[in-house]
Amino acid sequence: MSTDKQVITLNINGESIELLLDGGETLLETVREQLGMTGSKRGCNQGVCGACTMLVDGEPVRGCLALSSACSDRSITTIEGIADGLNLSPIQEAMVEHGGLQCGFCTSGMVLTLSAFLAENPKPTREQVRHALSGNLCRCTGYTKIVHAAMHVAEAYSA
Amino acid sequence: MKYFEPTSIDEAVAILAREDDARCVSGGATLVAMMNADLLSPSTLVGLRRVSGIEGITKNQQGLRIGAMTTHATIAKSGLFVAGMNVINRAANQIAHPPIRNMGTIGGSISHADPAADFPTALIAANASIEVSGMDGQRLIPADEFFLGYYETAVAENEFVTAILVPKGPENAVGEHVKVTRVDGDFATVSVSLVLAFNENQCSYARIAVGAVAATPLHLDEADAVLTDSALTDEDIDNAAALLVKASDPIDDVRGSANYRRALIPRLLKRAVSLLKTDA
Ligand SMILES: Cc1cc2nc3c(=O)[nH]c(=O)nc-3n(C[C@H](O)[C@H](O)[C@H](O)COP(=O)(O)OP(=O)(O)OC[C@H]3O[C@@H](n4cnc5c(N)ncnc54)[C@H](O)[C@@H]3O)c2cc1C
Ligand code: FES
Ligand code: FES
Repeated sequence: MSTDKQVITLNINGESIELLLDGGETLLETVREQLGMTGSKRGCNQGVCGACTMLVDGEPVRGCLALSSACSDRSITTIEGIADGLNLSPIQEAMVEHGGLQCGFCTSGMVLTLSAFLAENPKPTREQVRHALSGNLCRCTGYTKIVHAAMHVAEAYSA
Repeated sequence: MKYFEPTSIDEAVAILAREDDARCVSGGATLVAMMNADLLSPSTLVGLRRVSGIEGITKNQQGLRIGAMTTHATIAKSGLFVAGMNVINRAANQIAHPPIRNMGTIGGSISHADPAADFPTALIAANASIEVSGMDGQRLIPADEFFLGYYETAVAENEFVTAILVPKGPENAVGEHVKVTRVDGDFATVSVSLVLAFNENQCSYARIAVGAVAATPLHLDEADAVLTDSALTDEDIDNAAALLVKASDPIDDVRGSANYRRALIPRLLKRAVSLLKTDA
């Protein structure tokens, strides 16, 4: 083992976890390979597709481009931290109800991006939702149903 | 791979000087992507996020000081970019997608010096200077002299970018950044950054920079001079664009052919001028 590894404490889904990390390790690698949480997907590993999206201090970032060592003292949320036990979050619920997923590969990224977006913009227009999702690729759904799901949640919030 | 997080500029410079093959990392949006693609494997990373005094936008007598670690999202949302400085805000708003804008920093963007990136031309149009820190303290490099070639800048070994200084420029100026992309959020096939000021219907000040048509952003005093004191007719714009096309040296790549890129220069310049005419 290389001596360049350092012990770093990460706060993931509300839990403090001590990890031995190489300086070049990404959050996506840490979460999937060290912690076995495989909800975050590796699509391109280049920042293009959004399948690896996580929230860092509440903001969507690319897990494949974020260095884990640079995230000590920040609060990280992965898809595993979105539901409350067996109770799905409103956006997860709406994705199921509106058929916002097919293969599911993009879904964790979509849900996290929308969670952060709706928390900041509770009453968005359809156009704003589409813009918020512009960095997340889906090869199956054609996006329409994902946007439906988001609008449904927004309408429920504002009702 | 070793990882350090210095808390001061001096400490960061000392680590860069001490460690072999050390690389700064700001947002990591380009550096880590290159590491993932096995294009790069530095032995040491110097994370800049804790270095004090190099993040955020501050207003001063001369204009604005943008810390190198300021993210694209912060710049895109800032209300401080008044008059011609707005060209920088407009560029920030057109970089990639929201999550990349939350990660990427202006210091990282210009240090990487991709000729298709959006900030390099915007900084040249805004007549900005780059503050670089090293063993001997700080020096200022005009944006026009900062970009030396594909992915090559005037930053020397053991130096790093600490801030961007933007002069206010003419009070009545306006700034715009336009780009053509294959899909939303992509790097530019061609981009144009433009700062103009008007006196009645006459153009009293012009500074044009064109991106992705050469190894470095293209800026020609002669092209600026064609627009300055003109009425900005289509003919004036074509004349300025013709000089830029002549000086350009575009490549054929996945985003477009060299010929297509040349054809885009006058089109984008016209688009930028007409957007600014409605702003002014
Ligand atoms: C999917 C995707 C789409 C993108 N689209 C666009 C786009 O449309 N337009 C655009 O302009 N950009 C685009 N980018 C680039 C992005 O916006 C950032 O500008 C870029 O990632 C660099 O910023 P960073 O802070 O992440 O730098 P890093 O990745 O941290 O560093 C980049 C390089 O600069 C060096 N470096 C970093 N900081 C400094 C410093 N302060 N001093 C000296 N050297 C330093 C590093 O060692 C490295 O070589 C895109 C990136 C991705 C992943
Ligand atoms: S895997 Fe990170 S953006 Fe595609
Ligand atoms: S559901 Fe398959 S990629 Fe989106």
